[in-house]
Amino acid sequence: MKPGASPAELAAGAVAAVRAGRPLLVRDFTEWRAVARELLGARVAPASVTWGAPGEDLFSGAPASIAAAHNGGDLLSAATQADEQEPINGTTPRPHIPRSLMEMLQTAACYRDHDRWAFLYRVIWRWQQGEHDVQSPADADGQRLNSMVKAVRREVHDMHAYIRFRERPIEAGAPHFVAWFEPAHDVLPQVAEHFVARMGKVSWMIATPDASVLWDGATLHQTGPLMSSAADLIDAGEALWLTYYRSIFNPARLNTQVMNSHIPSRFWKNLPEGALVPSLVSQAGLGARRIGQVEAVGRRSGRTIPIEAEQAQPERQQPSKLDECRRCDLWEHATQAVGGEGPKSAKIMIVGEQPGDQEDLAGQPFVGPAGKLLDRVFEQAGVDRKGVYITNAVKHFKWEPRGKRRLHKTPAQKEIEACHYWLEKEIATRKPKVIVAMGATALKSVLQTGSVTLKDKLGHPVRHGDSWVVTIYHPSYVLRVPDESAKHEAFSVMVKGLKLAQELLDRLDVPEPPSAS
Amino acid sequence: MELNDKLEILADAAKYDASCASSGAPKRGSEGKDGLGATTGMGICHSYTPDGRCVSLLKILLTNFCIYDCQYCINRRTSNVPRARFAVDEVVKLTQDFYLRNYIDGLFLSSGIIQSADYTMEQLVAVARQLREVHQFRGYIHLKTIPDADPLLIQEAGRWADRLSVNIELPTHDSVTRLAPEKSVHTIKLAMGSIRRKLDEKAEEPKAPNFAPAGQSTQMIVGADASDDHTILNTAETLYGSYKLKRVYYSAFSPIPQSPGSVPLAPPPLLREHRLYQADFLLRGYGFTAGELMPQTGNLALDVDPKLAWALANREHFPMDLNRVDASLIPRIPGIGLRNAKRLVELRRLRRIRWEDLSRLRCSLKKLAPFVVTADYKPAQGATSSDLLRKHMADAPQQMNLWPELQAA
Repeated sequence: MKPGASPAELAAGAVAAVRAGRPLLVRDFTEWRAVARELLGARVAPASVTWGAPGEDLFSGAPASIAAAHNGGDLLSAATQADEQEPINGTTPRPHIPRSLMEMLQTAACYRDHDRWAFLYRVIWRWQQGEHDVQSPADADGQRLNSMVKAVRREVHDMHAYIRFRERPIEAGAPHFVAWFEPAHDVLPQVAEHFVARMGKVSWMIATPDASVLWDGATLHQTGPLMSSAADLIDAGEALWLTYYRSIFNPARLNTQVMNSHIPSRFWKNLPEGALVPSLVSQAGLGARRIGQVEAVGRRSGRTIPIEAEQAQPERQQPSKLDECRRCDLWEHATQAVGGEGPKSAKIMIVGEQPGDQEDLAGQPFVGPAGKLLDRVFEQAGVDRKGVYITNAVKHFKWEPRGKRRLHKTPAQKEIEACHYWLEKEIATRKPKVIVAMGATALKSVLQTGSVTLKDKLGHPVRHGDSWVVTIYHPSYVLRVPDESAKHEAFSVMVKGLKLAQELLDRLDVPEPPSAS
Repeated sequence: MELNDKLEILADAAKYDASCASSGAPKRGSEGKDGLGATTGMGICHSYTPDGRCVSLLKILLTNFCIYDCQYCINRRTSNVPRARFAVDEVVKLTQDFYLRNYIDGLFLSSGIIQSADYTMEQLVAVARQLREVHQFRGYIHLKTIPDADPLLIQEAGRWADRLSVNIELPTHDSVTRLAPEKSVHTIKLAMGSIRRKLDEKAEEPKAPNFAPAGQSTQMIVGADASDDHTILNTAETLYGSYKLKRVYYSAFSPIPQSPGSVPLAPPPLLREHRLYQADFLLRGYGFTAGELMPQTGNLALDVDPKLAWALANREHFPMDLNRVDASLIPRIPGIGLRNAKRLVELRRLRRIRWEDLSRLRCSLKKLAPFVVTADYKPAQGATSSDLLRKHMADAPQQMNLWPELQAA
């Protein structure tokens, strides 16, 4: 097959070549794909195809490299052009290869292996025969395919990670940064894209033994080998890097096994910090490990900061007394205690159950979904929320983990009792005329009895001490009811209850006792 | 002081920080743009130091002067260490220079507390702002947040940074009060809460200005106080649930020169830290709860990994038939990770799973043998006691080292 043939031309002659017993010479994935499609269409079995690669061509004296085979041509643009120009041949049936398999094949094609094209053809042949487990690592071929993909991806990753650019002096002109790398597989084109995105308009070059890529700040150029080893440049940035590498290492945690498992030994020789490793390891073994600090810093004269402890304490908002509450264990998993909110002169006090997820973060009662619903209740009842005092029977959020969320958990009787101390204080200082208890927890806490049920008291206000107690549903209940009509019903019970509270207040209409301030 | 000397001191001072991840940022690139930097969503480790930790970010302190006196910290005010302070410009330049040479994916900036929490936070924010606004830097930025700082400053930090972190420091309130007298769990939690609220707001309003797209994380020091792993995992679970943290980092306490009497002289075994990371991963990725992994007080087993320990303690769930069991339970089998679990589920749609498949998938056969049933394999039911299995599968015990100081690694 003559060099320089387009993938389409290659493909057109493929079947004839196989029948004549000639090896098929493909140079990259695009060519292979065109040829393989043709062969599949003609139902040519893998066993009857001989695949060759330019580098393995016994009769050509060319070096074993893809780039050389291309005579310094533009690899990337050739590949993309070929992609676009691919002819759609109406006579051969199009094989149905899923995208995921195609991507795997394309990646595996970068794996340097003498029989890569033959292997890939066997895979695609088997798929076409209906053996779809050929893609799974649990299949023998699939296992090899997957491990090729993995090795290539790993090489791409390692090249992203372990390339080191050195800066060239400004007067030397572009490229300003040069790197040398010896990849184990043909991954340079993919890697180049990564650095195009990373470096902006800065010019750079990556040289490998087989090929080079050059970015001039606007365009990517692909060429054959330009260097045969790393550039010998003195770069001030590299000296700083070595300092950083030495200093960030914590000798107290010496663990070379993990380090070596992450960076295979072949990379170390091209990493500037590689030369430091043996001495760091031996220093760590000889005592630096014990004091946990490298010599360089340990030798310097130290300095304590002369400042009084009181001065060091920042002026932070001290937690309120309620925040320091340890009467039960709920404080431990909550962010903060959530107290009541509302004007001092409020005559209606609304008592909920406990703060929820949002309230716990905000430190205010009823700011979450339940709070939003409560706002609507207020609106419908014609009562101004700003004029009432809103609080909860329990002041810390009780929850249990459900995945990564906090799931509300009903407080236990002993927690309600422990927290009643604070509710009682609130009632004693505010002296509300009407207390609206929302839900069973609030009702039990306000009336101080565990035996009372919500049902008994709904719509039946009771006297308790100096106040009337009106019972309504908790807004969370309304949110939870699945049935739309029941939800509506529960909502209207809440509105009715709040209206009743307001009426009671209006009806009481007795002058303030002189003692109350 | 020369830049090199400052770097030496301020990198050294930052080496006790465990977190160095650069993942989770939205995709950004600089092709054809002024400025520098790209993020792919997946962090890249650019190097590893002999302590086995990766170098992914330029991890430094802005200054190691500190007015706080946290007992476990080398930079506490009563510590006799050389001190240094970077100027904002110096950190900005250093980040860009390292980035251009492909040493790092970005910056992780923390600081000792100088003058006041607000002043310190302002300086940290200034570095990030300058990198982003003046130099169009699109690499990764992680800022350590000073919990006492003004919430408005934390908000601004979130505008420039990919990730924010507030350190919980120690697993219990009591330990923080005792060992970090100027810090307060109350303000730490409030800071975390305020970050979560901003993250929630941003999630609801995608057009709002950027806010820490890679979320928030925290760090807990292990082995500086007497807290056991049960407490530590419960604290972690609380933090994950309450503040939607991306990660909790566990940092085994490193004894420091002239350490105060309030902290131990010896470090905890690094294996303990490793087990905590394993358990943490089970919490985040596998749907385990802290209560399942550590039903009682005490520490995680050192001889077997937490998943195997759980399986040995819960034999009634096993053996699981890989061809029948609910897909969500497969990752609970020792020796089968999340990825292989997914592959097995895909495979069993095509055909029955056989023992050889597990071998090809490189599952740990020794670990899973007593716990699975396949089309052609069934373990002898109840033949082996959990104790015996544990002895069989535990990591090989190591000879105690009598003179660790003398042993070069």
